[in-house]
Amino acid sequence: MQSVLLRARLESALGERIPSLFTDLDKRVCESVPTGIAQLDALIGGLPRGAITEIFGPPSSGRTSAMVSILAEATTRDEVCAIVDGNDAFDPKSGAAAGLDLKRLLWVRCRKLDQVLKSTDLLLQGGGFGRVVMDLTDLPQPHLRSVPFASWFRFQRTIEKTPTVLVVMSPESMVKSAAALVLRMETRGAMWSTLLNEMHLNIEIVRSRRSRPLNSYVRVHLRSQFFR
Amino acid sequence: MYACIYVPNSSGDVHAALFDYASAFSPRVENTVPGTVVFDLEGLERLFGSYSEIAEKVAEQVRAGGLQANIAVASNPDAAICAARGFSGITVLTRGTEARRLRDLPLHVLSPSPEILETLDRWGIRSFGAFAKLPAVQVSERLGQEGVRLHKLARGVGSRPLVANQEVLRFIEIMELDYEIVAIEPLTFILSRLLDQICSRLRSRNRATHEVHLTLGSCVRVLHLPLPIRNPRLLSKLLVLNLEAHPPGAPIKQVKVEAIPAGPRIVQNGLFVPLSPEPEKLELTLARISAVVGEENVGSPEILDTHRPDAFRINKFGVMGNERAPIERALNERAPNVVAGFSPRSLSLRLFRPALEATVQMKELVPAWIAFHGLHGPIETASGPWRSSGDWWRPDTWDREEWDIEVLDAIYRIYYDVHTDRWFAQGVYD
Repeated sequence: MQSVLLRARLESALGERIPSLFTDLDKRVCESVPTGIAQLDALIGGLPRGAITEIFGPPSSGRTSAMVSILAEATTRDEVCAIVDGNDAFDPKSGAAAGLDLKRLLWVRCRKLDQVLKSTDLLLQGGGFGRVVMDLTDLPQPHLRSVPFASWFRFQRTIEKTPTVLVVMSPESMVKSAAALVLRMETRGAMWSTLLNEMHLNIEIVRSRRSRPLNSYVRVHLRSQFFR
Repeated sequence: MYACIYVPNSSGDVHAALFDYASAFSPRVENTVPGTVVFDLEGLERLFGSYSEIAEKVAEQVRAGGLQANIAVASNPDAAICAARGFSGITVLTRGTEARRLRDLPLHVLSPSPEILETLDRWGIRSFGAFAKLPAVQVSERLGQEGVRLHKLARGVGSRPLVANQEVLRFIEIMELDYEIVAIEPLTFILSRLLDQICSRLRSRNRATHEVHLTLGSCVRVLHLPLPIRNPRLLSKLLVLNLEAHPPGAPIKQVKVEAIPAGPRIVQNGLFVPLSPEPEKLELTLARISAVVGEENVGSPEILDTHRPDAFRINKFGVMGNERAPIERALNERAPNVVAGFSPRSLSLRLFRPALEATVQMKELVPAWIAFHGLHGPIETASGPWRSSGDWWRPDTWDREEWDIEVLDAIYRIYYDVHTDRWFAQGVYD
């Protein structure tokens, strides 16, 4: 009770002089980086640096395309990126077709969850990467649920004062409150002619630490770049 | 002007150390005799101060190496050698004062032959000063050319040029062990010590290394570095990680480390340099990740120039320089392309490696039902076939018919392998 009174007194005495006396660290202005998807950037204002962004959804929901777009956007700005590939599923040809500079990409091909966690930890500790993507989408979900929640907070603490963006891709939401931004992706059908032409997606903001309306979403059309 | 460092009764290791100390000050160093090195001081005043200050700095460095040496500075190499051998501590002979300063030194400092020394002794000549007073012509008549040379040295007027060492630099440290080592951990201490010495020598020559050879008996390891390094802790960690990944396989009785010298890395930072890992830290991070996932699974992908599906190779990852001019990039930063509507929104493929075998039922030559990896159902949409084949002259030829199919709200790429008559799921559009 005394501490509450003391805090109230301090706030009334110093509130005008020091507005951020008791404001949380999370509310500080943080730099954002574009995702490369214009509609999404207009909605979320980009991915926060020094924080975790989680992207989750079922297969064919556009997670990989979003990941490649995020990495391609970073390499166009000469930043160095890394992808920790949980099931060795990354297709370099798709990446290159989307404008990803492969020379600026470090690809860590893993087969087990503990390899992914260790490699990500080492990359974040080493520092200097603009974007680090942790791709857990193809790993068995029971294994993913066994990841200690403290691991995500440890990752978040490691990068919080750095310009690195950690993107976690998963089949279901796992990072929870350790993530500054959580996006759910789902498919809204595909457009076919003789070929697969376009895929329509919904990207929904599930969680954002910024003052944005929750449960707002954006529709994105991904065009196929696989010419036959 | 020339400086001489002299350590009496020195061993080969001490002489190598003296040579390194001298090389830290001047590129022109003469390997005179064991325990004596002479180096050129011309032009060093602007870097290190007056000749006395240079001599002080040299003495300080030699003392830091745990040696007690005499240091002398003179206008010619021979006078510097005589002064270093005759006077203890630091001696600076200014030009023209050599004969006067050296006159009290005993004749054995000149290292004459026993016959000449005996002759001079019989004449009552026992110091530089007494020998210098003799007329040069008569010395020549009685003692020959050797006598004339010694006479010049006694007068402090030696005129020979400095013979700078031209040997190729090798940075090798070897340690013979009393008993065999079978574990990596005790080896780390030995490696640290050897690498400390090598890096200290590299630093004294303003060199670094981009290649380290480690020889443990019959086991040889070569560490190729993407950039020149002279950090002993980093080199030690990289070697230990390499040994942990590929243990030597036999007890170790001798450890030999050789560093191939290279010019040190020169870095010029700029205001607009983008975010990238520190190269030395990155090398260590890559080595640690390689220990977790295997060396072949870490690197930068490169697409091969072939139509073969999923053809790529992994190259060693290294932070490269920035090709674009800083000002150009700065302009780009001010005009982010997101605002301009740039969007590489294209569909990507996730691959199954290896491809998953599938059971496919056809209806009117079009896939109608599929089952693979626990997933099965009717195919709602199918697009294909797209034929692809190549490398028919090689054993690993391929010939396939690809289809894009939509099953249970997901779009997959499947293919029919003509050679094996089997269906596979190659990946999912995601």
